[in-house]
Amino acid sequence: MSEQMDGDQSSQSRYQKIEFLGEGQFATVFKARDSQTDQIVAVKKIKIGSRAEARDGINRTALREIKLMQELHHENVLGLLDVFGHQSDISLVFDYMITDLETLIKDTRVILYPAHVKCYTLQCLKGLEYLHLNWVLHRDLKPNNLLIDENGILKIGDFGLAKFFGSPRVYTHQVVTRWYRAPELLFGARIYGTGVDMWAVGCILAELLLRLPFLPGETDLDQISKIFQCMGTPTEETWPGVTKLPDYVEFKGFPGTQFEEIFTAAGDDLLELLRKLLAMDPLNRCTCTEALKMDYFSNKPNPSDPSDLPLPSKFKKLQGAKRKVEADDSPAARKIRF
Amino acid sequence: MAGKFWSSSQFQQWILDRQDLLRERHGDLQILSEEEYHKVMIFFANFIQSLGEQLKVKQQVIATATVYFKRFYVRNSFKCVDPLLLAPTCIFLASKVEEFGVISNSRLISTCQAVVKNKYSHVYTAEFPYRINHVLECEFYLLEVMDCCLVLYHAYRPLVQYVADIGQENDLLSTAWKVANDSLRTDVALMYPPHQIAIACLHIACVILQKDYKTWFAELNVDFEKILEITRIILNLYELCKNFDEKKEIPQILQKVPKPKTQPSRPPSQGADGQPPAQPVVQQQQQPQGLQQP
Repeated sequence: MSEQMDGDQSSQSRYQKIEFLGEGQFATVFKARDSQTDQIVAVKKIKIGSRAEARDGINRTALREIKLMQELHHENVLGLLDVFGHQSDISLVFDYMITDLETLIKDTRVILYPAHVKCYTLQCLKGLEYLHLNWVLHRDLKPNNLLIDENGILKIGDFGLAKFFGSPRVYTHQVVTRWYRAPELLFGARIYGTGVDMWAVGCILAELLLRLPFLPGETDLDQISKIFQCMGTPTEETWPGVTKLPDYVEFKGFPGTQFEEIFTAAGDDLLELLRKLLAMDPLNRCTCTEALKMDYFSNKPNPSDPSDLPLPSKFKKLQGAKRKVEADDSPAARKIRF
Repeated sequence: MAGKFWSSSQFQQWILDRQDLLRERHGDLQILSEEEYHKVMIFFANFIQSLGEQLKVKQQVIATATVYFKRFYVRNSFKCVDPLLLAPTCIFLASKVEEFGVISNSRLISTCQAVVKNKYSHVYTAEFPYRINHVLECEFYLLEVMDCCLVLYHAYRPLVQYVADIGQENDLLSTAWKVANDSLRTDVALMYPPHQIAIACLHIACVILQKDYKTWFAELNVDFEKILEITRIILNLYELCKNFDEKKEIPQILQKVPKPKTQPSRPPSQGADGQPPAQPVVQQQQQPQGLQQP
């Protein structure tokens, strides 16, 4: 936020729109050029909802995002560069990221090797570990929010639902996109913790392996059913307290499916990580720090170097160019990177 | 609010020293003496406190709003925005940041009107002149001036921890808590980390209550020079307040305070200089910037 006194108009002309990138529930995102630094950035323009909302002043979702991102600085967390606007019409300026994990997973021409999957998972867990150590819950992790820059660096973005956590307190359970929503949230838990983010990482890792959403529930009830079919229906023995959750509903007893049968190509170390991330009882779920210490990350194959990660097929040309540049690197430089 | 102070924007960007403060306030200190400047700050901290109490927000929100207010005038002259407008704006923004909830527009303005009328008529003879569009306008400016640094760490949380550690009864906490509230009327929140302020507040509370916790203090691993500095600043505040006749002095001082060119004494209309009516209170931002340059 170098230009703190930047007037409104100069800010708007400072960022020259290049193209439309996407639209979400709360915002529209454009690719733009910062005319002061010539840097390519992403400008997230917060939508003004109803008239009544506009009268609340600076949008609360945007404010939450600004507030948290000003305090967070990590290689695997998206950086906020600037904020400009006028009253409720507000735009946030971020590092420009060429793609995201959802695009890569869906791109059938992209081949994801085990070393690639390990590299993405590692980066995601490192960023999330930093957030959790700083008492921030993301609450909306999904492949679409894991952004990737041209060097293959993964950054966690979209903090519109993120929140500081601390002493147990009551939160809304209507968080996290359904497919990545932890079972305790689906049962209406109002007191929850880092486990909701860990569950989402488990779903994302599974999706990286399957190349399809792991638990694509069509309704909240269907989501619960899909989880149980996979993990088995929980009981008071396997998950103490589950029947006391506010929205608990009794389900038919699914026995669950062995992970070996779902992830046929995964090794034991990876299956063990998946089991810890996707433990039904949030108290049995691992933390980021625990996950990072698991065998999967120290066993072969080594995670690939971020710069060797694949790019979506629309960037193939660019990738070729980049590879060429890399080939020119001295062998020593390449070694240092590994 | 949890989080880590040492990597926070507050520690990285907003811990200033006395020289910084004097330099930044140089413009206003040409017109007001340092003592008068502090009296204006005390007056508006009290005003924010009254507003917050009327709106029934938590003390945390009041504390955050008060620090926002101070940060704004570190970077800007009083000439830039009327403090009477900035005060409710700080409460409005702080209440959202602290996740207290949105204060409705009409409630904010009617509370300002009521507080001005019932408690501050000796200073403001006219009705509270601002409307919600002024506050909304000012809110964004406040965010910008603070470089979007919104998360604040106050002395209250470490204070509670220290008192629990001493294992003392409630009167120590309540006395030290009041001292912490009073400390918002000084610059300490702009100059020192919250745990040092908390220790200084405890220190003063112990003197007031004539309690002796020398051994507990002795075991602390802190820079006592800093604690004494904070203690001195807070004691100076009490000294200043002894002879501070707010009713008499403040109207005179506020007379001298530089004011924004455009005053919303009437409902805003198209200004003579063709400025859109939506921007009557915040001065064009190039002007204060120009002022800051020597």
